[in-house]
Amino acid sequence: MTSEPATMTRSAEKPRKAARLTIGLAIAGGVAVVLIWPFVVTDLFVQHLVTLLMLYSIGAMSVHLIVRCGHVSLGQAAFMGIAAYTSVLLVMKLHVPWILAAGAGVLAASVTGLIIGPIILRLAGKYFVLVTFMFGEIIRLVFVEWISLTGGANGVSDIPPPAQMFLSSLNYYYLVLAAAILMIGLAVMIMRSQIGRTIDAMREGELLAQCVGVPTVRLKVIVYTIACGMIGVQGVLQAHFLRYIEPLTFGILDSLNLVVMNVIGGMTRLPGPILGAFFIVGLPELLRQYVLYQRVIFGIILIVVMAFLPGGIAEVGARLYGVYRKRWSR
Amino acid sequence: MNLALLCQVIVTGACLSAIYVLVALGFTLLFGIMRVVNFAHGEFAMLGGFALYYLYGQYGIPWLIAVPLSAVIVAFGSLVLERLVFRWFYQKMFQSMIGLMGLSMAIMYLGVIVWDSYERNIPPAFTNVLQIRDVIIPVDRVVVAGIALATLTAFYLFMKFTKYGLAMRAAAQDLEIAEAQGIGALAMYKLAFLIAIAMAAMAGALYGQIYALSPFMGERPLMMAFIVVVLGGMGSIPGAALGGLILGFSESFLGTFYGASVCTFVSFAVVILLLIFRPWGLLGIPE
Repeated sequence: MTSEPATMTRSAEKPRKAARLTIGLAIAGGVAVVLIWPFVVTDLFVQHLVTLLMLYSIGAMSVHLIVRCGHVSLGQAAFMGIAAYTSVLLVMKLHVPWILAAGAGVLAASVTGLIIGPIILRLAGKYFVLVTFMFGEIIRLVFVEWISLTGGANGVSDIPPPAQMFLSSLNYYYLVLAAAILMIGLAVMIMRSQIGRTIDAMREGELLAQCVGVPTVRLKVIVYTIACGMIGVQGVLQAHFLRYIEPLTFGILDSLNLVVMNVIGGMTRLPGPILGAFFIVGLPELLRQYVLYQRVIFGIILIVVMAFLPGGIAEVGARLYGVYRKRWSR
Repeated sequence: MNLALLCQVIVTGACLSAIYVLVALGFTLLFGIMRVVNFAHGEFAMLGGFALYYLYGQYGIPWLIAVPLSAVIVAFGSLVLERLVFRWFYQKMFQSMIGLMGLSMAIMYLGVIVWDSYERNIPPAFTNVLQIRDVIIPVDRVVVAGIALATLTAFYLFMKFTKYGLAMRAAAQDLEIAEAQGIGALAMYKLAFLIAIAMAAMAGALYGQIYALSPFMGERPLMMAFIVVVLGGMGSIPGAALGGLILGFSESFLGTFYGASVCTFVSFAVVILLLIFRPWGLLGIPE
């Protein structure tokens, strides 16, 4: 988030502390809001929507981690599918307790990432996009064609909730919220640590990073594995929340949506994917009557953002904040 | 395997290859010259299909005139998009990818609003079949392959023997040096854009007539263009031709004998392996 140069003078220390305080307050306020609002707004539809929002911000964060490494993955929904199908089939066919099945699902997603990561993360940008795109389609085809196991194009319905108490959407919301805070916290911790700075350095100049001794491929594989597990968390929670999965949910459109969330929100700032998820998941639900127009408008927004605003909403926010701070300090 | 079946496979393969090469050539041309990954390529094919639907199906213009006419109309109409959208993305590969996905979405759903999402048919131009002993060949596929072949030949001659073709090849090889020789980049961009879109629209018209027409029909040609271009090497023009031939014939062959899903699996797996071991494709140049 903050990308001030390391050679900062002492006089700059004070506003930096103030900025930290503001950010801390904002985060605390945000957490308080997401904890308390269900008691104020009791509309079930809104609860459902916000739960989906939280789920998608996990997914968007996963893609964000990969984007920060300098790669755009167009197959991330496939990992969501791997985790969802693993967990659901374990629960429904082998009657494994939910928590174990969910763990297995997340593990399956991250192990898949660990297996293909070392092969595909060596590829240059555009080839990586294409390979992940193809990989995603292959996984989706497996879901469609392996009918005896996955139920084919009809998908799996009547998925049981994790436990009886999670039949209530309020309780499920808190489960998802906990997971989202954990996952986003993990991503924030990674990106704000030494590793995060190494990742940023690697994206900006891969060769240079290699020269100063960064094991680039190994680092990318680690981040990729974590990201795949992260989106697995979304897959598992979403499957048991919507209680229905089908191959179409894990296709190219969903992978694309996750990338779009990052693009619209902002690709180089941590709040970006979350803002993007709010935008992409929230807006269509609120504009239900205009489904078709809304896609057209989305398309145009994508073009405009890519052409004129590569930093996304987060950049607009940061710029506004900068203007505000300048005025304030004057 | 009997002769009749083999002939059918070959004719279908030739027809599919011709369409794939048409789509992929435009895709690779845009990539080679402008570094733009045109995710909206399939949508231009769709527009071509609808242009033929109106020109031939509704207004009854003779088929042989309607096909090139629809390609030309779509290409010149798209110049507006070149000015409004594409121009911001020249030489920006990553931005173009996502921005043009947005364009694809916008055109596709505008198509749904205007034409609704159901599938329609362009009336067939040729219904008779060619029969040589027990070998039965539908005439329309032969004609489609023939038209595509004629277009490709014209494209080849243009690129090989005209001044503009030479300039375009130079721009595709190295834009800076081409500009230093006095080749106007923007003019080349416009020319390449026109040619690429015209070929995509023509492919879409032919594809829409053989299969079906709907606002969503662009996805498959785009996917095929992808595979073909990756097979042949991104930005390589002979590569696109070779890739199209390989994909068209293997799809026809595998699809006839093993079913469509096996065919998709195999083509995707081959492309992934190729990307891993030889990412610059069969005829491309490693960077």
